[in-house]
Amino acid sequence: MTAPTVSSPPPPAADPTALRALRQTVLVIAALCGLAVLLLLVQHLRSQADDPLKSPQLLALKQQLLAEPKNEALKQQIRLLDLDLRRSHVRDVAFNAFGAWFVLVGVVVLVFAAKGIARFRVVLPSPHASPDAAERVAVTALRARRVTVGVAAITGVAFLVLALPAKTRLPSSPAGVDKVLAKLRGEGEDAPPLPSPAEFAANWPRFLGPSGAAFVTNAAFPLAFNLASGEGVLWRTPVPAPGFNSPLIWSNRVFLSGGDATNRSVFAFDLTTGTQVWQRAVANVPGSPAKPPEVPDSTGFAASTMATDGRRVFAMFANGDLATFNLDGSPVWSKNLGVPKNQYGFATSLAIWQGRLLLQYDQGEPENNLSKLIAFDGATGRVIWQKPRPVGQSWATPVVYEVAGKPQIATLAGELVIAYSVADGNELWRAQMLSGEITPSPIFAGGLVVAISPSDQLFAIKPDGAGDVTKSHVVWKTDENVPDVTSPVSNGELVFAVTSSGTVTCFDLKDGKKLWEHECELEVSSSPAIAGDRVYVFGTKGGMAVLAAAREARELAKADLAEGVLASPAFARGVMVVRTVKTLFCVADKGGPVLEAKRP
Amino acid sequence: MSLRRFGIAAFALLAPLWNGGLALAEQRFPPPEFETGYKMPAITTPAPRGLAMEYVDVAVLVTALGVAAWLVHRKRSRRGLIVLSLFSLVYFGFYRKGCICPIGAPQNVAYGLFNPDYAIPVTALAFFLVPLLFSLFSGRTFCSGVCPHGALQDLVLIKPVKVPLWLEQGLSIVPYIFLGAGVLFAATGAGFVICRFDPFIPLFRMTGSFFILCLAGGFLLTSLFVGRPFCRFLCPYGALLRLGSLVSKWRVRITPDYCTQCRLCEQSCPFGAIREPLVATANPAALAPDRRRLGWLLLLLPVLIAVGAWGGSKLSVPASRLHPTVALAEKYLDPKKPAPTPGSATPETLALTRADENAEAILTTAAAVRRKFDVGGWWFGGWVGLVVGLRLVSLSTRTARADFEPDRGSCYACGRCYLACPNERVRVGLLSPAEAAGLNANRAASRVAASART
Ligand code: SF4
Repeated sequence: MTAPTVSSPPPPAADPTALRALRQTVLVIAALCGLAVLLLLVQHLRSQADDPLKSPQLLALKQQLLAEPKNEALKQQIRLLDLDLRRSHVRDVAFNAFGAWFVLVGVVVLVFAAKGIARFRVVLPSPHASPDAAERVAVTALRARRVTVGVAAITGVAFLVLALPAKTRLPSSPAGVDKVLAKLRGEGEDAPPLPSPAEFAANWPRFLGPSGAAFVTNAAFPLAFNLASGEGVLWRTPVPAPGFNSPLIWSNRVFLSGGDATNRSVFAFDLTTGTQVWQRAVANVPGSPAKPPEVPDSTGFAASTMATDGRRVFAMFANGDLATFNLDGSPVWSKNLGVPKNQYGFATSLAIWQGRLLLQYDQGEPENNLSKLIAFDGATGRVIWQKPRPVGQSWATPVVYEVAGKPQIATLAGELVIAYSVADGNELWRAQMLSGEITPSPIFAGGLVVAISPSDQLFAIKPDGAGDVTKSHVVWKTDENVPDVTSPVSNGELVFAVTSSGTVTCFDLKDGKKLWEHECELEVSSSPAIAGDRVYVFGTKGGMAVLAAAREARELAKADLAEGVLASPAFARGVMVVRTVKTLFCVADKGGPVLEAKRP
Repeated sequence: MSLRRFGIAAFALLAPLWNGGLALAEQRFPPPEFETGYKMPAITTPAPRGLAMEYVDVAVLVTALGVAAWLVHRKRSRRGLIVLSLFSLVYFGFYRKGCICPIGAPQNVAYGLFNPDYAIPVTALAFFLVPLLFSLFSGRTFCSGVCPHGALQDLVLIKPVKVPLWLEQGLSIVPYIFLGAGVLFAATGAGFVICRFDPFIPLFRMTGSFFILCLAGGFLLTSLFVGRPFCRFLCPYGALLRLGSLVSKWRVRITPDYCTQCRLCEQSCPFGAIREPLVATANPAALAPDRRRLGWLLLLLPVLIAVGAWGGSKLSVPASRLHPTVALAEKYLDPKKPAPTPGSATPETLALTRADENAEAILTTAAAVRRKFDVGGWWFGGWVGLVVGLRLVSLSTRTARADFEPDRGSCYACGRCYLACPNERVRVGLLSPAEAAGLNANRAASRVAASART
């Protein structure tokens, strides 16, 4: 076959001037576009540091503001820096927009000019015979198959590279998810079983004891003791750090916390000997403010009594640090919940229910919507649920109890007693019974929630209602000798309340009738506690009175400890542990505490 | 132009870049003031684009497709197609910002099919189906002048470099793999990856992440010298249109009349779509190795599907991490996750706090997504195996052709080759019938020569 010939219109004759002009245009535009792209790139790299949302400087200042919420100069500095950053961000955005348009227009002109040049350079087809089409097709197909195999191989390698190192903790089966969730709740197969109710009752795991009414049946320790001479005192040891929290007893350990603005720690002592077994600083808590908040000395940083679930101990401090340790002192988890907005300092103690840690985190004013009740998983610190509370700051500790087999938590704050389901945090009932600044904690005794509206009224609520029970479930109320700081205590038959001036009043739990009152002549700010048939009352100046937990007034003993007591005593295993402002001591008979065979 | 003059000009042109953004910001947290009685304006949300406008988009699409089909098959006008491309680029590209567009529509369809809670918008469905339907009748008319992506690449093409046919044919499986991945991620709810990695949307919107803008710049630069690189080597919707146009009722013909085999059109296609005539082999014995290969490849096909499916199943863990809930769940379960920082939380720690509060819901959802990927991975891997196998099979078969003609799947119906044909030039009056007479003689001669060879 011969190459066919055909006459075709010739390309436009190359006008050298036009060609040169087009060439120069292309060069100039290409250079300008290149320069613009370069400037945009430089600008992009430069603007990374000015991102108003990511500026490390701004974040640091904001963090500082958390610790110093009233620092006006700091606020102004943040405002100015924020303004600066956003100004520069707006400039960057405008710069990028202009640059983008510049490049776009440049590219359009460039393409037009380049196409113009291309028109001068049309190469006319000069086809020639090419007889081996079949062979060319075969070679092309062979090579194409090879490329296909190559693409397949690259895809396969990519699959391998992606798949081989991919490890995951997320299971895909629902059963696997249940397992992970159980593990997160600390209920995994490898988690130790939680203590039985009997074990829980045999210890003093929280503020106001295992029953939440500051009552144990056993009082095997001597009635009379002398801290100065050591008579009847099993051991005494100095308190290593200040704090108004009360001691806990679990197995053969006594736990308490202490600290100030700079250091905060948790301490464990041997119940038999009083020697300090371990001390752990609560430090490097993620999110803890660099500068601690200002807290009045009358509350301090460690006013909240710790709690234990029998496997771990939990401690809360006024700067919002919440820390958990195993019984042997190894840290488990810690987190900062944000500095609580509390005029007198945070003082609410921790509550516990099985493996859950419950925290009534009331702050600010009701309209701030800052207060909440949080249930943490004790093993991991995971928030199981949290519920906003329509109240402001408070200082009372909630009480956990069971009604018809279902656990409830009753809280006091503002004007409201609110009970929630421990399972999911849903509100069960509420009663409008309170006024003033709520410090005394509620207790649960004889199937009733007994609570105090400071210096106002003592009342009992049947906790099986729903919704607003103010009118329907308040069993009794009385306004006689109502304390303003201390919590009531009860042995299930009688309720005892102690005023700050030391008047102990006994009420019948059934109907709230006053049975007797007794002047102890003490200044009291710690809640009393009942061991067997004795009510222990400690004074802030070192005095102590023991009254009979009976329907008639009877003073069994009186003593002077020479050291003021601001914490409530702990009773367990036949001993009493008391924290004075300086000393931790244990009262026991010669046999010492009754411990189970296995120690932690 | 001297260097100095160029410098001055460059400075004058680029100077506004430095002043482009005067300080426009206001203090975000101004100190409270109580004197002026100024009331903060209420925050308003702009109303969504009217539904009617979406139907306008569909109408514009249908009309543009009709016009494209008419320009390609009846009018045979490259100039008309350029005008239509410009219109599509402006309307679907810069005005509609590349959304809605058929390229991403398969994802809407896949997401709708596998997620009963999501009703596919009628417009998305129309944008998915209408160009496909057109391809069954008139080939890739959507690519020719309606697709803004194609139009942009086509219009900036200056000096096409010839990509070897074998490379082009070998790489033609990539769009199918990309399509499979897009469908997998959309069906599992992980996201619309085809849109996420679309290099032209940021150009239409004049904004985007640094990575995607670089990708866009790269594709645009390549498009100056390689015809339609995105359409040829990546476009997942083009992969579907290719299948449609393989069986289309009307196909693009270079010559309006008959092929004289003058070979003048041979190099006119910048996309390498023109195939030369190929006569069937007369000697069946010579075909034996080819037949054997074809047989082996057909046997290999199920093996490739099985191997691909197995490999795909192993991808469920890394692939599912593109799903935001899975990514959050994985991060949440990671013991080395960042600690929450109350007060000045970062988006990451905020998300982790959210996970902490809703662990059950997040883990359950993430596990459900992972299960979808477990199944989807098999399908995706199998799809890759099928695509590779079928491509190998198709590359082992031959299509006999009598004339120079565009490959049905690869032709974008751009109309560039029309005027390379002398018969077309006669038709449009650029050449007199007398001048073309010699060609007809050549054709007769070549036919005689061909019959003499066989
Ligand atoms: S119309 Fe012609 S030039 Fe355009 S893509 Fe198809 S074969 Fe190539």
